[in-house]
Amino acid sequence: MTPTYPTWSISAVQGVKKTTMELWNSRKDVGYYEVGVFDESWEPIPFVTAYRIIKIDYLSKVKFDIYIRTQDILEARYVCSLSKLRSNDESKTLLATRICSKFK
Amino acid sequence: MKKLLITLSLILGATPILAENIDITGTVQSRCTVNVDTPGAYGNPNAYTLTTAPASAGQEPIVRFDVSLANAYKAEVSYPTSFSSSPSLTDTVAWTGAVTVAQTSTSDMSGYQAASSLAGSKRTYALTVAGTTWFKSTSIATYGGGQAKAFPGGAYKSYLLASCVAQ
Repeated sequence: MTPTYPTWSISAVQGVKKTTMELWNSRKDVGYYEVGVFDESWEPIPFVTAYRIIKIDYLSKVKFDIYIRTQDILEARYVCSLSKLRSNDESKTLLATRICSKFK
Repeated sequence: MKKLLITLSLILGATPILAENIDITGTVQSRCTVNVDTPGAYGNPNAYTLTTAPASAGQEPIVRFDVSLANAYKAEVSYPTSFSSSPSLTDTVAWTGAVTVAQTSTSDMSGYQAASSLAGSKRTYALTVAGTTWFKSTSIATYGGGQAKAFPGGAYKSYLLASCVAQ
């Protein structure tokens, strides 16, 4: 996900605001990313999106909306995409990558 | 002459204003990307230790950060503190590890390690220079809570978390 400084805008639902993010996959070995919203202490903040785990091909882009309650907006600090890793039978360390945009 | 001027002014006044929309387009490329440079692997120097140390037939994972904008991002790299999958373990596993700068694309980044901060297993670097930085991590897992018990046979996996966070 391109790290940016997104802002919240009004949505069609009262008491709920939304922001639009763009996800870009730069990892050939990863096909799925999980979206999360966090506060300053990296505690999760409740939010809604069409799919929390998004399938995205290598070097492709996906746009998606994130909805959050107005009362949680001041606490929401980061929106992040976390790579989802595939399992296999080797003893190894895998690399999970996370890109985070920041609400200011 | 007066008639000519009047006629000319009427013609000029009737000339339609020609306007054309000129599109300005732009693409914002990702200014911070994180990729795997070298996947890690555990070596098993004795029955109760798993380590990524090359001296023990392990391989240290290396992650690459590419940043095209200075002073805009932080790199946060955490070494593992648990297995993401393993055989059933009945005793405790002690974890140690470290994250260090393995390589940089410019000498201006030479102070990254000294300026970094550590909180638990997570080391944070301020990416103050545009370019590429490679970070490597060591991971050591010891089984048995100090009793040096043998790890059960099977596949063990853990993962390193590398984050690029907007400042």
